[in-house]
Amino acid sequence: MAVLVDRNTRVIVQGITGKSGILQTKSLIDYGTVVVAGVTPGKAGTAVEGVPVFNSVADAMKETDPNAAISFVPPMFAKDAAMEAMEAGIKLLVLTMEGIPKHDVLDILSYASGRGVCVLGPGTAGVISPGKCKLGAHPARMFREGRVGVVSKSGALSYEVGKTLTDAGIGQSTVVALGGGPIWGTTQRDVVELFNADPETEIIVLLGEIGGSTEIAAAEYIAESVRKPVVSLIVGRSAPEGKSLGHAGAIIRGNKGTAASKMEALEKAGALLATTPAQVVELIRKLG
Amino acid sequence: MKLYEFQGKSLFREAGIPVPKGAVVTASDRSGLFAPSAVKAQVLSGGRGKAGGVLLASTMDEAKKAADSILSMELKGEPVKAVLVEEKMNIRAEYYLAVTFDGEAGTPLFMASASGGMDIESVAEHTPEKILKLPVDPLWGLTDYKIREMADFLGYENKKEFASFARKLWNLFREKEAVLVEINPLVVTDSGLVALDSKIEIDDDAKPRLKDLFEQNLSEQARITGKEADADHGTITYVPLDGNVGLISDGAGTGMLTLDLIKDFGGSAADFCEMGGLTSPEVMYSAMDQVFSDKKDIRSLLVVLIGGFNRMDEMAEGITSYLRDHSVSIPLVVRLCGTMEEEGKTIMKEAGLPVYDDLRTAVADAVRFAAGGE
Repeated sequence: MAVLVDRNTRVIVQGITGKSGILQTKSLIDYGTVVVAGVTPGKAGTAVEGVPVFNSVADAMKETDPNAAISFVPPMFAKDAAMEAMEAGIKLLVLTMEGIPKHDVLDILSYASGRGVCVLGPGTAGVISPGKCKLGAHPARMFREGRVGVVSKSGALSYEVGKTLTDAGIGQSTVVALGGGPIWGTTQRDVVELFNADPETEIIVLLGEIGGSTEIAAAEYIAESVRKPVVSLIVGRSAPEGKSLGHAGAIIRGNKGTAASKMEALEKAGALLATTPAQVVELIRKLG
Repeated sequence: MKLYEFQGKSLFREAGIPVPKGAVVTASDRSGLFAPSAVKAQVLSGGRGKAGGVLLASTMDEAKKAADSILSMELKGEPVKAVLVEEKMNIRAEYYLAVTFDGEAGTPLFMASASGGMDIESVAEHTPEKILKLPVDPLWGLTDYKIREMADFLGYENKKEFASFARKLWNLFREKEAVLVEINPLVVTDSGLVALDSKIEIDDDAKPRLKDLFEQNLSEQARITGKEADADHGTITYVPLDGNVGLISDGAGTGMLTLDLIKDFGGSAADFCEMGGLTSPEVMYSAMDQVFSDKKDIRSLLVVLIGGFNRMDEMAEGITSYLRDHSVSIPLVVRLCGTMEEEGKTIMKEAGLPVYDDLRTAVADAVRFAAGGE
């Protein structure tokens, strides 16, 4: 089990012959991810790290039967590649690139929702089910197999918390990063729902940050439907008001989007609040 | 790229959206002045009307005085360098109409209200039911039934005229790759709907395929303000703060976490500097350059790196090459782990620089060093 990716995940890498594509493909294979094909138009017949390269996703589908794609296609061509993958039947799409034009992202997400495709990103570090499959940039040593599901907007924060948990001997079922925004495919609420239904996930860790209201939507879902313990860490509580700190989502607008308002909503929903990764560990240990 | 009102209106005109007749007037060129007219400050920030940036003039004399007065203003720190002089409108009603996107729902969004004008923010806060929010599927486009819903909500009688207006607005939003097209107020006059104001922001990520649009509008802005557009800092986000611990991170999430930890340990950050998604040795180098050139009084520099897509060997190269080119006398605390960390640590070690693995230890040391500790 685990969510989104597991041992049955068969991956194609879009943009496999670029610099990131090559480096990350090696890292995926080293981890044990089943990478069945790469796609770069015009490069059919070549191979990257032993993975056969095809001209189109459709060609790769015929010969290698993939069910997930990770894209390293440059921003201006990312929409075309995403549409191609979805039309060919891919149901999980990890968009790593930042800087994809926003109207392209909106088109991708519209097409995805019509076809029931799960899109992570854009600008996501991806997803890892430790010990089973890595479909992202995660440093392997920071994760180990276990029963804690982690969802985060920020990729780096998901590594940081993964590392802290792993160093403390606490394993994870799946760790999902959603990207820094300002437009998201999959949201925290969606992933909490997946974790809630996943028998391998016993504890849910929700990582959030100041700005926007996706954590509030997740809190509402938790209050209604989640009986598993939820531990939450919202970063940026010391940020000065009204300043944008990188993620476009992290702009405080009035009271909505402050760390305090999110923590309050999550606490009301029954989540346990941590203020640091070390505290996440303490709270999980207390849960036994 | 944010556009001035008059730039937005020239896009409106091009798209066939009715706007008042007007002329741009600057301190050096007042030939366009006329009366009776409305004289409006051209600034990129909002809240202009409330700050006195719009004056009505009945005579040429009043128009001159209004222009003089507004051209000497500063609105939210932005000196006014141009005014738009427009014909006065016979206003029967003021609407609010905008197209933007809802990032959390991942969809374009029309917003319409019959309570347009200066107080739309307070309408949004106190009576949100007076604003219709209508998601629009980008691949289907703006459908007739959504247009009818908006016209009914606004109570506008001429459905055919409204439909044409709304479609033009939608097409402009899509073709010019706007993240915001806002008309506040959209006024009802005897001759129909007129966009009395415009607020347009174009997606910077679309710049490579909208070169002419960017070039034309940015050079026009540079001519007016007399200074070049801000240099492109790539994906680096830099926000100066008040403390003495310099901070650079390779992710916004970990950057914010570190900000919190610095405070927990009793320190205060001098800045928030986050390198974003496309890192390289050059980006690391310029992040350090940015912090050191802006912050002369920092007492320690904390660099927090946890590599996924970004490579620790490249980060270490950026740090060491900066230190070769500059003399840095304050303590440097580098937490480095993740992709290619062994290679990165080797580069740091050869340069005689210590590397941390644990974030808390790194933050604790950076705060202690900043306070003068050993």
